[in-house]
Amino acid sequence: MEALRVEGLTKEFGGIRALNNISFTVKNGERLAIIGPNGAGKTTLFNLLNGQYKATAGRIYFLGREITDMPTRSRTYLGQGRSFQVTSLFSNLTVLCNVLLAIQGTGPPRFQLFRSISAYKHLYTKAQELLEAVALWSKRNELAQSLSYGEQRRLEITLSLALEPKLLLLDEPSTGLTPAESSDIVNMIANLVRDITVIVVAHDMDLVFGMAERIMVLHYGEIIADGTPAEIQTHSRVKEIYMGIEEDTRSAGAI
Amino acid sequence: MDLVVLSLLNGVSFGMVLFLLTIGLSITLGLMGIINLSHGALFMVAGFAGWMLVVQLGYSYWLALLVGAIIAGLIGLAIEQGFLSRLYGLTNDQVLLTIGFIYILMNLSLWIWGGRARMPYHDPLLAGTFSIAGWQYPVYRIFIIGAGLILILAIWWLLERTRIGAIIRAGMDDIETAKALGKNMGRINYLVFFLGSFLAGLAGVIGAQMMGPRIGMGWDILLLALIVLVVGGMGSIQGALIGAMVIGLVDSFGRALLPDLAMFFMYIVMIIVLMVKPSGILPRESGG
Amino acid sequence: MKIAELKPGGQPQQGRLVRFSLYFVIGLILIVLPIFLPMYLQGLMTKILVFAIFAMSLDLIWGYTGLSSMGHAAFFGVAGYTTAILIRHYGVVTFLETAPLSILMATLFAAVFGIISLRVSGLYFLMVTLALGQALFSIAWQWYHITGGAFGLTIPPLNLGIPGFTSTAISIYYFVFIFFIICYFLLRRIVNSPFGHVLQGIRENEPRMRALGYNTWLYKYIAFIIAGFFAGISGILFVHWNMLISPYQLGMIQSTYAALCVILGGPGTLVGPVIGAAVVIGLEYGASLYNPERWPLFLGIIFVISVMFLRGGVYPRLNNLWKKVGEKYSYGSTKG
Repeated sequence: MEALRVEGLTKEFGGIRALNNISFTVKNGERLAIIGPNGAGKTTLFNLLNGQYKATAGRIYFLGREITDMPTRSRTYLGQGRSFQVTSLFSNLTVLCNVLLAIQGTGPPRFQLFRSISAYKHLYTKAQELLEAVALWSKRNELAQSLSYGEQRRLEITLSLALEPKLLLLDEPSTGLTPAESSDIVNMIANLVRDITVIVVAHDMDLVFGMAERIMVLHYGEIIADGTPAEIQTHSRVKEIYMGIEEDTRSAGAI
Repeated sequence: MDLVVLSLLNGVSFGMVLFLLTIGLSITLGLMGIINLSHGALFMVAGFAGWMLVVQLGYSYWLALLVGAIIAGLIGLAIEQGFLSRLYGLTNDQVLLTIGFIYILMNLSLWIWGGRARMPYHDPLLAGTFSIAGWQYPVYRIFIIGAGLILILAIWWLLERTRIGAIIRAGMDDIETAKALGKNMGRINYLVFFLGSFLAGLAGVIGAQMMGPRIGMGWDILLLALIVLVVGGMGSIQGALIGAMVIGLVDSFGRALLPDLAMFFMYIVMIIVLMVKPSGILPRESGG
Repeated sequence: MKIAELKPGGQPQQGRLVRFSLYFVIGLILIVLPIFLPMYLQGLMTKILVFAIFAMSLDLIWGYTGLSSMGHAAFFGVAGYTTAILIRHYGVVTFLETAPLSILMATLFAAVFGIISLRVSGLYFLMVTLALGQALFSIAWQWYHITGGAFGLTIPPLNLGIPGFTSTAISIYYFVFIFFIICYFLLRRIVNSPFGHVLQGIRENEPRMRALGYNTWLYKYIAFIIAGFFAGISGILFVHWNMLISPYQLGMIQSTYAALCVILGGPGTLVGPVIGAAVVIGLEYGASLYNPERWPLFLGIIFVISVMFLRGGVYPRLNNLWKKVGEKYSYGSTKG
């Protein structure tokens, strides 16, 4: 069964084509990493998949249903869970509140007006599980904005996991983290249940090779390579692009 | 038929005044992300200052025009430099702060000039009427339309043909750049803010020919300005212009057809625009 | 597992006992003090409670949901006018008969205005709510035959329909006080509920909430209606206290007054707006004694001071002070 199918997806901004006629499918349970130089269209792709952007052309199918025109919340309801490249938390609420909101999102209590939230013990139990898994339980009563950057990133991912999604979209989950923190993320992804499909956008090659069974390379809004890690590592065009980038940065350094 | 022509002229002249009032609001909003709700009060203060100069002290109307506009410009600049500049990005706070200034300016004006509404005033040169379509049409209204057109041209020239204008336009096209530029553009800030408030004051003295200055204007004119912005679209000059013209015409045709209900037409237009195209008729383009 | 009781904003509740004893003391003051006050001050305290309810209702959407409405007085005024119109034009006399319809009207207006205003957000939203409130002001001003135009409508003293009840300054006070207590606790429950937490999430980061699966528009709309409901309650109480309602209770001036109570007191705290109402009305009273003509000037200055120097409001500052005092004198560790 396909988790995701994308056909002819195109996104234009004014005169600029950020994504050009992209088509691919993702199988259930697959671990896919999307890489590519800056501006290649990776986050744009995520925004289209999750509904922050509307496609200029093309279709998206999620678990067999067409979701091209669906609003974000409906996609979440169907089973998508997304984390953001720029940390997107509820700054003035506590860590615990942040997670509770994520857990509550798709369940009945969310329209409850009169019982105090502390009456819903099952929400708290789940929150404890999730926060202990990322070692944030001890900070549960601190405001999200007072956490360190690394802790905020962990909270960010926790929010998307709290949704118990069938498709997890992680946008640059380990950017800005220490190597130790990064490998924590890799382990976390590796430990995820097999029926969750995971797509990661990343620059961090350790992360990519640590979790991916399949790598897709985007460049100027097009897929230029798609295969196993081994295939990508030896792919001539990919090496060209990344070598080109290395050369640029090396020569810039020389000046 | 005559009624149509008359209402058209009335609407356009009123629209010109509204445009001058709101252009400042729209530009500072689009360029610096700053909202100054006391524009209506500036309009009122200028109208009173002009009244004092022309009616009480017998100076020339043209002098009053300049003085009123400058006073408004300076007050606006003072509010921005002293207070608003510390509230970048905090829209709510700016709103509340400038509402506070509405109260302050209105009460100070009350203190200085007293609570009586004043009669409209204009330069003797502009007294008298013009024959249009068999009706006698007041000259000063024609002047308002003419002055409005000249100012629109002047603004267009400033924005399209000067370097400063190019910087302003660039800042307005890109919201992110505008916010960043707002912090770094120092002297352009000064100029734009002064100009916006100056135009509001100009509108106040020009408008005083149609509506005698009245303390309550601080709120009433603001309301009109906001409806203009919602209808026309915020953050763009075209938006302010089209919004002002629409509201001006709706008001004048409304008064001609159903005088008692005239003011509700504006609200109805606003509601229609909101339900059909919430961003306004010609809002500033945004990406994504 | 012990669950720390959460206050809005998520701060853990330390010292439940402290809080309840605070409630007790304040409650005592509110219940007992007025007996010893002259009639005018009793009326003033009544006014404070009426506007406290009004401000709390605004706080629900302003402080908790992040919707800056400048047209909230519309619902306040509609309820008041409905009561007055029923009494003056339809001979409906008792509170039990006028109140339900008045609240219903306020809630209905909130439902309609909500649909229009929530088409937009941020500054646009503010402008639209302001315009809609002013539209009602204009209607009330024009529609002389029904609304009394600029003069407004007066009503006779409160008739509860209960034998033995006479409307005096002190009986009106306790009448309003009961409503205040009920409204406070209802609103407190709402903001502590899952629904209330969703509202705060929307305030903090609406796109994220959508990504978490919430229909944020619906939440905002429901909050808007609930706020209108409570504003309606305060409007009814107002007209019975004031015995006069005028167009000014519908428009920008009344709405901005409520907004000041909220931001001066502390948005998003529910208690803050109550304090804000007390401060603003207290200052207004002070101005009326010394220089009533300059009150709008002082009001404007209070706006400026609140925004420039008292960001976040008075209540959080008092709260912090209180906590520091508590830490100084506490016996056990209260750190989580």
